[in-house]
Amino acid sequence: MNEKLIEAKNYLETYDGRPLRIMEVCGTHTHEIFRLGIRKILSEKIKLISGPGCPVCVTGVGYIDKAVFLAFERNAIICTFGDLIRVPGTEMSLGEAKAKGADVRMVYTQSDAVNIAKENPDKQVVFLSVGFETTTPGACLAVKKAKNENVGNFSLLMSNKTMPNAYEALKNSADAFLYPGHVNAITGTATLEKLKNEGVSGVVTGFTAGELLTALSVTVKNLQKDEPFFENCYPRVVRPEGNIKAQKLMSETLIPCDAEWRGLGIIPGSGVKLNDSYSEFDAEKKLSVPDIKGRPNPACRCGDILRGGCLPNECPLYGKICNPLHPVGACMVSSEGACSAYYKYSQI
Amino acid sequence: MEEFITLNHGAGGKQTSELIDKVFKKHFENPCLTSDDASVLSVGNEKIAFTTDGFIVSPYKFNGGNIGKLSICGTVNDLACMGAEPLYIATAFVIEEGFPISELEEITSYMEKTAAEAGIKFAAGDTKVAGKGQVDKIFITTTGIGRITQRVNLSGANAKPGDKVIVTRDIGRHGSAILIARNEFGIDSDIKSDCAPLWGTVKDMLSVSENIHTIRDSTRGGVGTVLYEIAGQSNAGIVLDEDKIPVDGKVSGLCGMLGLNPLYLACEGTLVVICPPEDADKLIETLHKGEYSENAAVIGEVVSDYPGKVIMNTEIGSQTLLPEPQGELLPRIC
Repeated sequence: MNEKLIEAKNYLETYDGRPLRIMEVCGTHTHEIFRLGIRKILSEKIKLISGPGCPVCVTGVGYIDKAVFLAFERNAIICTFGDLIRVPGTEMSLGEAKAKGADVRMVYTQSDAVNIAKENPDKQVVFLSVGFETTTPGACLAVKKAKNENVGNFSLLMSNKTMPNAYEALKNSADAFLYPGHVNAITGTATLEKLKNEGVSGVVTGFTAGELLTALSVTVKNLQKDEPFFENCYPRVVRPEGNIKAQKLMSETLIPCDAEWRGLGIIPGSGVKLNDSYSEFDAEKKLSVPDIKGRPNPACRCGDILRGGCLPNECPLYGKICNPLHPVGACMVSSEGACSAYYKYSQI
Repeated sequence: MEEFITLNHGAGGKQTSELIDKVFKKHFENPCLTSDDASVLSVGNEKIAFTTDGFIVSPYKFNGGNIGKLSICGTVNDLACMGAEPLYIATAFVIEEGFPISELEEITSYMEKTAAEAGIKFAAGDTKVAGKGQVDKIFITTTGIGRITQRVNLSGANAKPGDKVIVTRDIGRHGSAILIARNEFGIDSDIKSDCAPLWGTVKDMLSVSENIHTIRDSTRGGVGTVLYEIAGQSNAGIVLDEDKIPVDGKVSGLCGMLGLNPLYLACEGTLVVICPPEDADKLIETLHKGEYSENAAVIGEVVSDYPGKVIMNTEIGSQTLLPEPQGELLPRIC
């Protein structure tokens, strides 16, 4: 560690001002903070809360149920990123559906799913599209590719979300946010400046030990001034204008919509769906998916955890019937989920 | 509810152990079976090591080897980890209808070369052909016997507080090479698998130290999984220094991109060695002269605290638990 970092670390270790609550929004931040042991060096006056920035965690049970429905009732090939496979649905997870004969395939890019559709022209192929602005452009590229190449048997089951309105909804949960650097690399920082004017404070944060310690100390120092602030502590990657190409791709194919967040309910304008030019690739419309309301385990407190309302170990299921091998809630499944991180790293 | 086999049961982590306990041990358990890489048996006055391993790697060719080389190295290394000189090997092939014979010959020529290097002789074999689609191209099972002549007592249960933890080379290469060979990410890199027969490496180590407590081949699940197994078997804790773990720059780059931890990536030519502190320096010196262990390093030590756990001293001077590997990281790497 260089001198500047040692100074930042010392400041965070010895801080003795008013108690602060800082929410790290991004699941990768949650994971790195645990991996590096950052919570352990923080003064007890600084509390870190893990927010709703893991796309798997904020996806509702009903979404998994719809995917299982598509696999069995529409005989579709389901393509997904790995993390969703083990998320419990009301009846079963996609992993369990696969063991029972459903055709569930793990892919690494959305375009892989389009290729699978081309190789299986007699089957419907559905990609499970969840995620924030970091993964959404890939879904946009995939539908454009499918349209250009006339791949009629490909569609998206969409539950993509956007962050800005979620900060508004969460602003009373924390004194400041560590903004997710990768998302801001796409979206730029204009919305964050706007949030500052509305009284929401935060710092764009990178992912290395140095970047995390710096962002945290900048946040704590700014919080001493008692006025809203915004700083970009990840300038090597995040530019004010963001990634214009990706933004254009999204605006060409998507329109905003209301979205349901697990634990947070419906947040107006916090989701995206395909616009009229691409609606033929919307799996729910195309394959007539009924409006399935999932039934999460009533004792699971994922929702409170995502709002910073309780810590994972305060949930009655945590570590008892809910663990990474047998997850009950999505926060325990995803490697970026708060419960999973707590469980994996906290048992010294 | 009826339970089914999932890919997680084959990942070599916690669920694999659970399956072994619940199903296999229940019916097979007897004093010959241990949790080590090979069992040590007595035949007359001789001590032999005995092991078997199935190989289903996909794709069956990768940078640094193929399924044939892997199938010899896997068994040779399991024997070597018990301090046994590899003697005889049996091979069983399950081949898919339509598999090119030229490819089969390439695989067997690698096996010939690797077996010659390890000094093990082919002593039995079997061939089965399955219909198209009933097996994915080619699966190989090898079974090996080795002879233990030196005075050694190697077991995962022997780690003691104060012991040093050594890895014999940079970690995570095989898993990385397989990921690249699958070409699923569109990433181009020349990371070579560490796949190698390690009897020579073990022999060199045993020639300078009779006091090694544990030698383990870190295959599926990587070095992290092996360390957890040792911590559990020995009922001790293991503390690692993050900055001392040798990882090739290309491997750490790949891991950074894909969100993987090199400690959980498979190796096929990397040993974890636990030894008393006074023997660590001479072992490292010996390893540095070896063909497959030029960048061997002491990466941590065994402690009496935290029994069964692996702890990491992190780069910011904090301490954290190394999470216990669980579930499917990457299927069919060996």
